[in-house]
Amino acid sequence: MAFLEWRKFNFFDLKPNVDKERVAELFKDYDVVVATSGNNHIVLGDSVGQIYLISRAWEVTMFRGYELRITLAQQLRNSPLLITIGEDEPGVNPLIKVWDTSRDKNGMPHCCRITRAIPGNRPVVATALCVHEGLQLMTVGFSDGSLVLYRGEVTRDRGSKQKLLRDASSTVTGLAFKTTAAAVLLFVATDSSVFVYNVTHKDREQRSNLDTIGCAKKCSILAESIQESHFMVGRNDAIYCYTTDGRGPCFAVDGEKVMLEWFRSYLIIISTTNRPTTQNVLTNVTQNTIRGHSITILDIQNKFIVFSAIVDKVKAVLIEWGGLYLLDYNNNMYHLDEKDLQSKLSLLFKKNLYDVSIRIAKSQQYDADGLVDIFRQYGDHLYAKGDYWGAIEQYTKTIGRLEPSYIIRKFLDSQHIEKLTSYLQAVHKQAQATEDHTTLLLNCFTKLNKPENLKEFILLKDRDLDFDVEIAIKVCRQASPHEALMLAKKHNKHDWYIKILIKDYEKYKEVLDYISELGFEDAEMYMKKYGHILIKNAPYESTQFLKRLCTDYGSNKSILSENFSNGGLELTQKADPEDFIHLFLSNSECLVEFLEHLIAKGCILSTPVYDTLLEHYLHVRSALDTVAEKNKLGQKVLKLLQNSDVKYDKAQALVVCHMHGFSEGVLYLYEEEKLYQQILRYHISRDDMSSVLACCRRFGHQEPTLWVQALWSCIRESKGASMDLLPEVLNIIAKERLLTPQLVIEAIGTAKSDITLGHIRSYIVNELIKENEITKNDTELTNKYRSDTDKLKQQLETLRNGVNVIQGSRCAACHHQLELPSLHFLCQHSYHQHCFQSFADNENECPACVPQNKNLLELLKAQEYNKDLHETFHSQLEKVNDGFSLAAEYFGRGVFKKVTVITDSPTSNGSSKYDQLEMKKPQTKPTKPEYPTYGPGAEARLRQAENARTGGTSLITVPEGRMRMHEHQQSATIESNKKFNVDITEKAFKHEVGKNPFEPEYDESLNPFAEDDLDDTNPFEDDYDKNLNPFSS
Amino acid sequence: MSYAYLFKYIIIGDTGVGKSCLLLQFTDKRFQPVHDLTIGVEFGARMITIDGKQIKLQIWDTAGQEAFRSITRSYYRGAAGALLVYDITRRETFNHLTTWLEDARQHSNSNMVIMLIGNKSDLESRREVKKEEGEAFAREHGLVFMETSAKTAANVEEAFINTAKEIYEKIQEGVFDINNEANGIKIGPQHSPTNPSLPGAGGQGGSQGGGCC
Repeated sequence: MAFLEWRKFNFFDLKPNVDKERVAELFKDYDVVVATSGNNHIVLGDSVGQIYLISRAWEVTMFRGYELRITLAQQLRNSPLLITIGEDEPGVNPLIKVWDTSRDKNGMPHCCRITRAIPGNRPVVATALCVHEGLQLMTVGFSDGSLVLYRGEVTRDRGSKQKLLRDASSTVTGLAFKTTAAAVLLFVATDSSVFVYNVTHKDREQRSNLDTIGCAKKCSILAESIQESHFMVGRNDAIYCYTTDGRGPCFAVDGEKVMLEWFRSYLIIISTTNRPTTQNVLTNVTQNTIRGHSITILDIQNKFIVFSAIVDKVKAVLIEWGGLYLLDYNNNMYHLDEKDLQSKLSLLFKKNLYDVSIRIAKSQQYDADGLVDIFRQYGDHLYAKGDYWGAIEQYTKTIGRLEPSYIIRKFLDSQHIEKLTSYLQAVHKQAQATEDHTTLLLNCFTKLNKPENLKEFILLKDRDLDFDVEIAIKVCRQASPHEALMLAKKHNKHDWYIKILIKDYEKYKEVLDYISELGFEDAEMYMKKYGHILIKNAPYESTQFLKRLCTDYGSNKSILSENFSNGGLELTQKADPEDFIHLFLSNSECLVEFLEHLIAKGCILSTPVYDTLLEHYLHVRSALDTVAEKNKLGQKVLKLLQNSDVKYDKAQALVVCHMHGFSEGVLYLYEEEKLYQQILRYHISRDDMSSVLACCRRFGHQEPTLWVQALWSCIRESKGASMDLLPEVLNIIAKERLLTPQLVIEAIGTAKSDITLGHIRSYIVNELIKENEITKNDTELTNKYRSDTDKLKQQLETLRNGVNVIQGSRCAACHHQLELPSLHFLCQHSYHQHCFQSFADNENECPACVPQNKNLLELLKAQEYNKDLHETFHSQLEKVNDGFSLAAEYFGRGVFKKVTVITDSPTSNGSSKYDQLEMKKPQTKPTKPEYPTYGPGAEARLRQAENARTGGTSLITVPEGRMRMHEHQQSATIESNKKFNVDITEKAFKHEVGKNPFEPEYDESLNPFAEDDLDDTNPFEDDYDKNLNPFSS
Repeated sequence: MSYAYLFKYIIIGDTGVGKSCLLLQFTDKRFQPVHDLTIGVEFGARMITIDGKQIKLQIWDTAGQEAFRSITRSYYRGAAGALLVYDITRRETFNHLTTWLEDARQHSNSNMVIMLIGNKSDLESRREVKKEEGEAFAREHGLVFMETSAKTAANVEEAFINTAKEIYEKIQEGVFDINNEANGIKIGPQHSPTNPSLPGAGGQGGSQGGGCC
């Protein structure tokens, strides 16, 4: 038996004498026959028809309801109406009375309605009463099995329609209305059957039988719970539940049922028992109640017996004021006080019945925190018992409320990893996991060596990302890179994916495939990041990919999508090749291929790229074995170098070519850069004499010194080949006068090589012949000059001392016969006076000679001017390469003349002679005081003197000769040597004449300070002495 | 909640064979490893669809204990189908089948569809009763046979639904008297017009419609 009932708890306290025996006092004389409750009071009816209303404070209101007796009563729960059935007269004549307890009338409630309760036309004892809470339906059952249904307002007689529903022959023992959304049902229990009427619609009551077993009076109740309402019928073996469809569950509770009551979700069963009541035993009250009643309270929902006790015979179970009250046959009022949830739970905890406590807590809408606490306690309990799986199951329910670390710490032991894993999984499922949890979980998976779980975890979690992917990847990678890989792929952690593929799997081609599926930016980024490794390990594929990336990249995916979305609007992106070049460092072939591809595709590359390409070309070339291939590549390189589009850095290219010994390139670059010397040197260093010669021939006109170089090389080398070269070199040198023979000989002499005289014989001979010619020419020139000088000297002499015969017979201006008055100039020009006056600007000068003289004078002036520019000279000297020639030029300009002139005594003589001439001059024009003997005047005089001469055509005077000397100096520096050979003409002579005054001018400036001339020339002397000097006196 | 038919089932078999678990699995789709003893009869309901018709299954899950035999017997009547359950890991539960079958045949109506269920098929390692034996028993007694696992839910749905199908077929064949509710079959409110012999059925259907509006 013990095992054949539900688990038993004691959730109620039975408190006796809650009314302080007030009820017992009331019913000293009469027995309680009916009891009902509702609307805040308990209603009791005694055996003589008196009705008692008892309030919560146990205050009693008593009134007489019936004259004889009261048999049935129902107080509506939420309405002040009390419906009773009783008899005022003897015999079977039941009357229904409806009382309104809220309305007082003469000390008793107002009786709203009195109706006779008769099924049909013969009186039958009423055995059951039920009033619908809606106050529209009332039914009375009778002992003959008939049933009267009253429709209409309960409180009013009128309008009320009654309907007799007669069927069974057994006494009606219980009635209950059940209201559903769609229907109103009336459950009827008789002592031999159970059935239900659908009374929703008037006159269409429909009956359906539920069972063919009935129950005793009071032993049926409508259990209204949240889930489903059952009509419960108590029988000896069990409590049977009925739904509208028929029999439902049943609960086996032994004992003869006396009464059923429904309180909240509890079913209270009062049944007879043979055992004495505990109280009787304890209190030893000797009453003749041998048989007490046992109270059993069932928690239907949770299937527990929540209270069970044996008490004295129970007369009524009253539910009011939120509590449960019992009235026993001795009119003692008991209160069955339900324990609060906490104490219930603590009771259960003591028994370690956590699962039960959870069920109870849940059914009583316990708050979440409290539940979590129970779960935790349960978990702790199970843990302590060693039921770790069970514990985890409970702990799992605490997720979200309880700090996971509490549980984790408990299960961190290696034995419990499995459990911990499941807990952590649950944590993740509820999206409560932190990074650490993910890490821990993944670690657990790996420790458990359950890759399939790991996989599952990773892959099934795609519905919502409830863990940190990064961490997951990191952890997975340590244990099973495969999973990490999947994870990375799934969550588009490209970086991780690539990293794992590379580092853990070394599947470089797959990496490339993967990258190629990415978008451009990503692809570019990852190529930059991992390109180095990829190229190292999968050079060919990487190169192919990079080619694509740098030319027209469209990822495999994006191509598809783009075609759909953009409708073919293709936007290819290109990566900058420079970013990738460094990746190829160790793989020249691929780089070359890469760059070639780029160039072929017409990419505009930057200088460094070309430089790199070149370098790697050469690198590859130097790695090649066969000559043919080398040459082929060499051609390529040259082509590249010659390509004008290719903007490479020439200097660097040169260095690179040098480093790799790519002579063609070097030579090409030398040529480009005009480094002919270098080319030559290169050939020389390679002893390639024919090339040397070719080079010299080719570039000799641009850079003659090449020949000299060639010479030197010949000398140094002294090999057969160079010997062959020598004659030509020497020939050119001689021709171009690149080197003085002396140096050549000297050089050859110093050479260690065994150059014999034979080799240079022809050169020396030629040179000597040439030298001889020059010498001869020079000698001839010298002689010529000397004779010229002599002639000039003679002429000067004649001008100075001799007679100048002016024989001009025609006027130089009009070419007519000269007539008086005429003017004669020393330059042998004669003019009519009127002609002269009309032609001449200046009466001192010969109009025919003026232009030339002017030029000459200006030249002199310029020289004079430059003479003072010492600073100019110095600065020029610093700038100019050939300092000597500059100095020579300045010398020629007479900058240093001062010194030379001072020693030139003949000039002063000459000037004095001019002075004398001036005195003789017939037409002395007024001269400027500063330059009394300035050129023009002197010239005029000379001309006059010349005029005086007759027929003297070519009289060369001494001063002229001296001027020639000057001119010689000048021309030596300023002009070419040819000037030397120019014959001295009369014009030249005049030139000299024009120059002459230059010397006297010098004299003049100097002389005033000379004491000799002071008296003669200084006109201020007298004025000063006599008149002007006020300070002297 | 409207249905074409309502079938009442009863689950019988020795105590501990997993009757309540089968029911729980079928109605709630969950498994409770620790289950209190059934005291009396428990009850579950679920809607299924057969042949496009909504069918409500009301299932009585009886206590296997001998002590409750008298209570459970009263439930045979009014059941259209019975699931006779034994535990494949306990031979005695299989041995008791004959008794159960006799009981059922005696107390139920003759047309009741009985399905033999070998439960706990997930515990293959502890199997004591071969599947063939179950099949043989079922053949011998004209039952439908199936091995199920309330724990893994294997074949649970099928067991209930196949039974329902069988009942439905029998209804179509006219074997069942659908008007006698003692057969465990009830016609749903909307389905009733097909049967004019039912008193007040048509009126009820009409009034329902009116009530809705």
